[in-house]
Amino acid sequence: MYRQRESRTDKHRSAPPTRWSQGRKRRSDGHFRRLNDEEETVFDKEMPSENCVQRPDRLTSRHSFPTSFTTPEGHKPVSRCKDWGSAVEEEEVLMETIERDMASYRRKLHLNECVSRERRSSSGSSDSKDSSIHGEIETDMETLTRRQKQINYGKNTISYDRYLQAVPRHKRQQGAHPRTPNKFKKYSRRSWDQQIRIWRIALHEWDPPKDEAGDDLQPFCEEMSCSASETASADTLLAGTPTKVRKVESEGGFDLNACLNNDADPEFA
Amino acid sequence: MGEEYKIQVFDAETQNLLKTALKEPSSVDLEKVANVIVEQSLRDATFSREAGKMCYTIIQAEGKESGRSVFRSALLNRLQVEYRNREEMRARSVQEWVCYVSFICNIFDYLRINNMPMLALVNPVYDCLFQLAQPESLQREEEVDCLVLQLHKVGEQLEKMNAQRMDELFSLLRDSFLLQGGLGSLAQLLLLEMIEYRAAGWKMTDAAQKYYYSEVSD
Repeated sequence: MYRQRESRTDKHRSAPPTRWSQGRKRRSDGHFRRLNDEEETVFDKEMPSENCVQRPDRLTSRHSFPTSFTTPEGHKPVSRCKDWGSAVEEEEVLMETIERDMASYRRKLHLNECVSRERRSSSGSSDSKDSSIHGEIETDMETLTRRQKQINYGKNTISYDRYLQAVPRHKRQQGAHPRTPNKFKKYSRRSWDQQIRIWRIALHEWDPPKDEAGDDLQPFCEEMSCSASETASADTLLAGTPTKVRKVESEGGFDLNACLNNDADPEFA
Repeated sequence: MGEEYKIQVFDAETQNLLKTALKEPSSVDLEKVANVIVEQSLRDATFSREAGKMCYTIIQAEGKESGRSVFRSALLNRLQVEYRNREEMRARSVQEWVCYVSFICNIFDYLRINNMPMLALVNPVYDCLFQLAQPESLQREEEVDCLVLQLHKVGEQLEKMNAQRMDELFSLLRDSFLLQGGLGSLAQLLLLEMIEYRAAGWKMTDAAQKYYYSEVSD
C-alpha cells in the first residue's frame, strides 16, 4: 500500500514525497526514482566529471553521511543505500573522479604558471595573489570527497541540467552565471560551504516551472540544514564575520538578493 | 607465508578453497569464500579479530588478477545482512554478536579505499559501538571489553570520519561511568581508561599505561 502511494506521488509529483530522501533520488535520465528502484546507473569511467549528460547520479544517493544529516534526533541513520558492496564501489568511483580532476587541474596550473612567467618577464606585471598559481592546492582526500559530494548534489538536479542546456559552458559569462566552486583551491570550511550555498541558490534560477517542481526545494533545504549543523550553526558563525561573507558574495559575482527574492524559500529569505 | 592465516580450523575442503582464493581468487566461488569467512568469524573470536588481513589479501589478489571486486562486494553484503539482523543475533548469542562487532571493525580497519576508511561502514560501525555502550550492554563484561578493544583500534579513524558521533558516544560513556548504578568495577575501569585514552589524543600516556597496566604485568 505504502509502495503504491509512493509511486503515484512519483508520477504526478503533486505532493512531496513521504521521506525527503526519496525526492532527491533521480535516475540518470533525470526522472525521480521510484521507491525500491534498483536501477544501477552505468558509470562511464571515461566521462570527465564536468560532463553532465551521463553524470553518475548514484554518487549522490549514498547513505554514508554524517548522522546529523539523516537523523538529527537520534544516532541511528536511515539506511538509504542499496548495499554496502556497491556503496563502496561508488566510493572508489568518487576517488577516481577526484584523482582524475586533480591531475588535469595540476596540468592547468602548470600551463598557467608557464604563461604568467612569460608575461611577467616581458611586461614586468605584478605578482598574482592567487595562491593556486603557486601550486597550493587542496590535497586532503577527506575534504575533497566532501566537496565533490556537495558538487554532485548540485549537479544532480533538474535545475542544473536545465542551466547547462540554456547556457552551455563556453557561453557562460563571468559574474552573470553561476560557476561551480573550485574544489582544489584552499578555502576554509566556512568559505567553501558558503560558495556552495550561493552556487546552489543561483542554480534555482533554472528551476523547472513551479507546478512541476513541487518537491524540488525540499532536498535543498535538508542539505543546507545539515551543513549548518555540521559547521556548528553556520548562520551564527557567518553573522559574526560579515566582511568575509560579503567578500565571498562579491567573488560569486551575481546578485544574491535577486536570487533570494526569486526563491520563495523561507530558510534563506 | 599463507599459513599465518589461521585456516587450520577449517575442514580440508574449505582449507583448499581458502588457499586457492588467496592465490587465484577468480578460479573459485568468491561469494562462497566470503560466506565461509563471515560464518567462521561469528563462531570464533580469535578468527574474527584477524580475518581482515586475509580478506585484504584476497581483495588485492582479485584486483590484480581480474580488476574486479566480487569478493569485497560479497563480503560487505553478507556483513550487511548480519548487520540488519544484529538485534536478533545479540538476543540469540552475545558471543556471536561480540564476534560480529570485532569482525566488522577489523574489516573497517583493514580494507581501505585510496588509504581512506570505507565511508559506507562508518555509520554501521558506530551503530554497533552505540549498541555496546547501552547501559544493558555495559553490564556484560564481554560487551564492555569488546567496545573498549574496538575503540582502541578504530576510534581515531572513526572520529576523523564523523567527529560528532564520537562526541555523542563519549557523552554516553561518561554518563555511564558517572551515573550508571550497578556497573561492575572492571567495566568502570575500562570506561575510565577509554575516556582518558581519547582525551590524550587516542594515545596512552605513560602515566596512564602505568596506572592501568602495571598490576597486570606483575
